[in-house]
Amino acid sequence: MSKLREKTNVGKVSRRQVLKYSGAATLSMPFIGRAWASTTEINMLAWYGHGEKDIVGAFEQANNVKFKPKYYAGGDNMLALIAQSPPGTYDVILSDAEFVQQLNAAGYIEPLDSNDYPFDDMLHEDFTKFPGHWSGNTLYSMMVRFGHLGVSYNRKHISDEEAKSYKCFWKPSVKGKVGHFDWHLPSLGMISLYNGNGAKLWDLNDGAWKAVQKTTMSLRPQVGGFFDYGGTFNSLKNGEMVAMCGIGDWITGVLEKDGAPVASVVPKEGGIQWTESYCIGKGSSKADIVKKFIKYMLSPEGQVKSAQMAAYPGFCITKAGRAKLNAVDAKEAARTGQTGGTANDPITLIKEGRIHYRNIPVQQDLGDWNDFWSEYKNA
Amino acid sequence: MSKSHEWQRLCGGKAFEVAWRIPLIAWQAVFFIGPLLFMIIISFFLVKNYRMIEAFEFVNWFKMLQRATFWDSFGYTLLLASLSTVLVSIIAFPASYGLAFRVSSEGRRWAIFLLIVPFFTSYLVRIFSWYVVLAEAGPLNAVFGFIGLGPYTMLNTAFGSVVGYMTLTLPLVIILQTISLSNIDRRCIEAAYNLGCGVVRVILEVIVPMARTGLIVAALFCFILSFGDFVSPYYLGGSKPPTLPILIIDTTKSGQQWPRAAVIAVMMMLTLFSIAFSAIWYAYRKRVAS
Amino acid sequence: MDPRPITKWMFYGYIAIVFSFIFLPIIASVVFSFNSQRFPTVPLGTFSTVWYETILTDSDVWDAAKTSIIVALCTSVIATFIGFCTAYADYRYRFFGKSGFLALALLPPTIPLIIMALAMLAWFARMGISGQVWSVIAAHTVLTIPFAMAIIRLRLNDIDPQLEAAAWNLGATEWVAVRNIILPFSKPAIIASLCLTAAVSFDEFAVAWFVAGLNKTIPVLIMEIVTGNIDPQVNAIGSFVFLTSMTLVVLAQLLLMKRLGRKWRGR
Repeated sequence: MSKLREKTNVGKVSRRQVLKYSGAATLSMPFIGRAWASTTEINMLAWYGHGEKDIVGAFEQANNVKFKPKYYAGGDNMLALIAQSPPGTYDVILSDAEFVQQLNAAGYIEPLDSNDYPFDDMLHEDFTKFPGHWSGNTLYSMMVRFGHLGVSYNRKHISDEEAKSYKCFWKPSVKGKVGHFDWHLPSLGMISLYNGNGAKLWDLNDGAWKAVQKTTMSLRPQVGGFFDYGGTFNSLKNGEMVAMCGIGDWITGVLEKDGAPVASVVPKEGGIQWTESYCIGKGSSKADIVKKFIKYMLSPEGQVKSAQMAAYPGFCITKAGRAKLNAVDAKEAARTGQTGGTANDPITLIKEGRIHYRNIPVQQDLGDWNDFWSEYKNA
Repeated sequence: MSKSHEWQRLCGGKAFEVAWRIPLIAWQAVFFIGPLLFMIIISFFLVKNYRMIEAFEFVNWFKMLQRATFWDSFGYTLLLASLSTVLVSIIAFPASYGLAFRVSSEGRRWAIFLLIVPFFTSYLVRIFSWYVVLAEAGPLNAVFGFIGLGPYTMLNTAFGSVVGYMTLTLPLVIILQTISLSNIDRRCIEAAYNLGCGVVRVILEVIVPMARTGLIVAALFCFILSFGDFVSPYYLGGSKPPTLPILIIDTTKSGQQWPRAAVIAVMMMLTLFSIAFSAIWYAYRKRVAS
Repeated sequence: MDPRPITKWMFYGYIAIVFSFIFLPIIASVVFSFNSQRFPTVPLGTFSTVWYETILTDSDVWDAAKTSIIVALCTSVIATFIGFCTAYADYRYRFFGKSGFLALALLPPTIPLIIMALAMLAWFARMGISGQVWSVIAAHTVLTIPFAMAIIRLRLNDIDPQLEAAAWNLGATEWVAVRNIILPFSKPAIIASLCLTAAVSFDEFAVAWFVAGLNKTIPVLIMEIVTGNIDPQVNAIGSFVFLTSMTLVVLAQLLLMKRLGRKWRGR
């Protein structure tokens, strides 16, 4: 009898244990992935391609970490993704420079130690105190690369001469073959430049803003589609689109290397600079390794990786990085003018005042630009 | 069996009965009804500096419903989804008719199996295939070029979107139509032939009315799927102009405007529900009468 | 009926055309997956397995596959359990509010995925639980319950209601009757439902895309490659997904076709 009771007790205990274990298993389900991997996982929020092997592979191996990327397109998209995730989700955030202020204002990022980075080695002095990256004397975000946006075109359909002005988008023979990168900021910025707003391209009063809208609308009959990153790529490559508004070498550079007859130039009205900067996500438990990664991306090695990035190339920002690029990949350095002294040297372009840093609208709300953009797409 | 035992069993029976309903009700309440209701609530929230603020304001509704953009998208989506529904129904019908009446039951089973296959290939991958096939420099234009036609612009047009919608819905519509056609009592059809009706008349006056419910349900599914799909109009239609699902995605991407996206979503649901209810009402109406 | 063979062949021809439209993109994607070009154009490049090699060595693909499998397994088990309970409740009882109850079970497929995605992400974000594997599982379960319920309910139609009643009369409690009669009888449908719901979850991308955060499933990865660095990896992954899903479907199909009913004996 007592034996029997013992048995049943054993049965009960084990049943309870089973329940306990299965409960624990259910609860720990989300962590199984993490438990399987013995390496530290770094959650990254970035534009497409920054978490791929060609950029982070060597760092991952050297430090026994693994990047888990989530990709976005456009700063508004980035802010939306952060807002929808629990705090501390993203360890490292690659932001467009003009959105760093917003990130900081919303309390999404941690301060950085400015002594960690080669500020004395910058190719341009603007890069040391990039707008919005500092709050007082505290550094919140570290610029890592940049690129220029202008006229991107297919050489078979638009001549190099025509491409010297945004006017070529209105060329009758490319009707229905002008594409837009589907984000309002670069496209509307270009139209603002075309309208002659020059350095005040983001600082539009009501009249100027209305004029930009009007000019933009006049481009609508030419437009063949609105594309994300992949669509922009493909439609330029397969000839579906022969001119693209809102992009630059970051897309055509990749296609050019692939043998497509496309190019990007900074036209006479001026070009726009995109700038990408790394931040550490608020509440990240891996801030130390992320700091190391940001330092790595600013080292000559990291700068070369960024310049050769498979998804889209970006210019070096340090002198040492540029020197190394010239040493290891003279062809890419020459293609992008990063040799020093040539007319298309990105630093020269900035110094000549032909380049304007991308910004968010000064007098309007970002929402107004957004609304107009969806109206434009619908027109 | 004693009275108390019986009573106990009944009581246990009641608990037993209710127990079967609890999993569904609990799960759907938390993960289905909850989210949908919350989405309606969100449409009254405000957004300040990229953050949602709880409120009860109609500003999002006014803002969205007053914009011509929204109504243009709305009309376009409705038009495109209706067009695809009509086209798919018409294209599917002869195939379903053939499968139901001209193919052996063995052949029909195989055909239906083959039609299930596409549901288990990634829809995105199929659309990406079309993207390549329909391109100006793609295989289809190469074929046209071979016979001296084209090249045609097929991507980034409404044609592209409809091809995508058809990829999504055609197999399902054929399956549903075939099933409802094969359920028709064949003696009625034979009787009609014996009474001297022609093929066309038999189809229009016997087969279609008898299979009406199934045909309408098939069309309804086609409409729902096309109305809510964002992949085809985006990748094959070049979001030119954007349909409502694309508008939802654009809105959530831009500046955290979830309340406005919720307004669009609620409007879409209202539209779908009213269309679904009228379709179902129409599908079953005469049946009750006859 | 019209017996002329010519119309018969016309129908065969028409059906062949429609089927080739349906299968063209599937076949094309398999062809592209073996094509060397990064952006496939005509004429095609050379035969190459480079895209398969890429995905096999890409740890992101493996991570996504792992996530997809966890999600599909959990979804199928939960959805089939709930589907069974619901099917049985519908099969055996009439009760107040039954049509509402059934609507709750069958409504999800009529709501566009993009709306479900939006609503669920908002809801999960609100509760601070977005971007986790099990948020995807919860969402997929909602989407797949109708399939599970329908398959099992159809099977229950075939059962002889006398059997359960006979068991009660022989003194079996209701639980015992369910366990010993209903469950064994439904077994093929339950397994079919497990396969089918797993396959549906394995292919779903819209809701997973919104809700999954960093825990990408395979279709979300495909989505990311298509929106990002479009390349034929997508086709290679697609071929794998196809293989996996088809295995599950064929399994489900075989089990559904197998008429266990005749062989089935009460215990």
